[in-house]
Amino acid sequence: MRNAWMLVATREVVVRALNKGFLIGLAVNIVLIGGLIGFSAFMDGRTESFDVAVVAGDDAAAAAVEAAGQEAAASDQEIELSPVRVDDAAAAEAALEDETADAWLSSGADGATWSLSGWREPDADLAELVETTVRDQVMADRATDHGTTMEALTAGTEIETERLDGNPVDPQIVFMAGFVLAFLFFMGTVGSGAMIAGSVIEEKQSRLVEIIATAVPLRQLLAGKIIGSSVIALAQNVLLVVVGLIGASFTDLSAVLPAMTATMVWFVVFFTVGFVAVAALYAVAGSLASRTEDLQYTTSPLMMLLMGVYIVTFSADGVFERVLSYIPPASIVSMPVRVLNGDTLWWEPLVSLLILVAATFGAVLLSERAYRGALMQTGGRVTWRSALTSDRGTTLGA
Amino acid sequence: MAMSDLEVRDLTRVFASGDTPRRAVDGVSFTASSGLLTGFVGGNGAGKTTTMRMIMGVLAITSGEVRFGGAPVTRRDRREFGYMPEERGLYPKQPVLEQLVYLARLRGIDAPVARREVLEHLDRLGLAGRAKDHVEKLSLGNQQRVQIVAAIMGQPKALVLDEPFSGLDPAAVDAMADLLREHTRRGVPVLFSSHQLDLVERLCERLVILGGGKVLADGTPDDLRATGVTRHRLILSGDAGFVRGVPGVLAVDVDGSSALVEVHDDAAATRLLSAALQRGAVQEFSPVRPTLAQIYREVTA
Repeated sequence: MRNAWMLVATREVVVRALNKGFLIGLAVNIVLIGGLIGFSAFMDGRTESFDVAVVAGDDAAAAAVEAAGQEAAASDQEIELSPVRVDDAAAAEAALEDETADAWLSSGADGATWSLSGWREPDADLAELVETTVRDQVMADRATDHGTTMEALTAGTEIETERLDGNPVDPQIVFMAGFVLAFLFFMGTVGSGAMIAGSVIEEKQSRLVEIIATAVPLRQLLAGKIIGSSVIALAQNVLLVVVGLIGASFTDLSAVLPAMTATMVWFVVFFTVGFVAVAALYAVAGSLASRTEDLQYTTSPLMMLLMGVYIVTFSADGVFERVLSYIPPASIVSMPVRVLNGDTLWWEPLVSLLILVAATFGAVLLSERAYRGALMQTGGRVTWRSALTSDRGTTLGA
Repeated sequence: MAMSDLEVRDLTRVFASGDTPRRAVDGVSFTASSGLLTGFVGGNGAGKTTTMRMIMGVLAITSGEVRFGGAPVTRRDRREFGYMPEERGLYPKQPVLEQLVYLARLRGIDAPVARREVLEHLDRLGLAGRAKDHVEKLSLGNQQRVQIVAAIMGQPKALVLDEPFSGLDPAAVDAMADLLREHTRRGVPVLFSSHQLDLVERLCERLVILGGGKVLADGTPDDLRATGVTRHRLILSGDAGFVRGVPGVLAVDVDGSSALVEVHDDAAATRLLSAALQRGAVQEFSPVRPTLAQIYREVTA
């Protein structure tokens, strides 16, 4: 039967797509990503307004509040200040308590220090803004006292930053992207891997595989499973990436979106190839178990490997990252991140992809043998060695 | 040799467990003839399941061969065999109809045909109303019925069934037996294992007794009974205890005036009867046909 793998793959996809746990997990992830992006966009776009109390006659404070308001408007800080005049210190405290004012600024006119009070700790952004303004104001006064000006004092102290590689992408964003890709990789592989292992042991434990094996070559059964779960894993990641990119277009990240999209496309390509190997290895892990309970043991080496990739790749940089970007499966994450960082030559992702394809091919061949060898061995967990000793297996393989 | 006999020749399977290889099946030969129900009997670890798995190709053969219709069995042949493995189970969380159709399609049966046939079988086995239920919601007996449907779909060329009757109530056993008879009538060989000897005795035309990986006996139930030692029931007017002392006679059971004995030859029988007559009247001296259970105990002893 030539197209048995299609039947198997279709069943894997349908069963998985209708699985409540899978759907709930996916929905949670989408909501999480959407929520995160929405929240940061909201925080970015929000203008905070503060009512700052100033005691009548405290002109320095009143001037500082006004200057701070102008400074905030000039530097896009999304903070609005409105002064609230109060009669005296007691009135200011009362205003803070009944929340007609968010903070109270008093000047250090008669040698006292400047103070910004709130009923609770004043807002940090507000405090920073006011502190800067007050410092400038005080320094300007002192400069005048000494017969000079602020401009004269600070002239030539600015530092201009300049980036020579020409890449517009902020390193902070590259780091975040690395983290996100490593996370997507880990989630996608471990989640779908566990499902394929579960689906293999389900058939082995119930001996259903013996019925299937007499009808269909095991190679086709394995191929169907790998393809089916790859389709699901890929669809899941594409969905999450698309949600992420669409979400990002509503935030400040929209400027780097073109660069980010290229990276995501590379990631999806690398992930697609790499996941086939991971799925094949997880299928073996499933076939090595004899009961569902054994999966914990048989999948743990894979889990370690994937966890290692997750931890190592999102924190790697420099030469280490360059090396990782050629070593499967770490290259699945590291190479796209390097592409985003802009430090790859055009051929580098292609070479890395070729290495990944070769590694995947090898992993699939090895897995196919081990899977066939282990699937019919009942009674206790099977080792890789005994799975690869062909005479213990079945004659129904090819 | 009929066209579709299932034949096993010198089948051997060695499991390498540590340093001492274990011969689970050791030179087993027998034929499950077309059109006959062949019962496969043996204790735990006798090698029944291993033999059946080798027949189906699920387990690699160490040596020997499996033949079908006079030629070595092929992948294509096996694909058209109906098989029921030892441990039961289907996809627990998939509806009955859906997974039976899936299994049928894997065997190359078109979906609409498979669907029709599955529904027909389910109807016959009284499961028509459960077609959309998940397998895990069915009772064990009903799961067994679903499993048998999986084996008999698509007019198989041979049936190899590991313990198909275990866990069924008497009515279900009869229904299942009728179902299997339908297939033998088509000229298909049906090989099934069981440890319920009375059932095997009642149903089977042929019987293969396996023990320690070897065939201990093989033939029709009548053949096998003929090879067994015939016992005699002796009923006297007085006490039957003396039979223990008669040379050539083995007292199997003595209870008051009644005794169950094995006599080794005619001379011993004459000795026994004359000794009995000296003591009083002989009310009964009759052969007792051995049951299969008795034969089984003899050959596996």
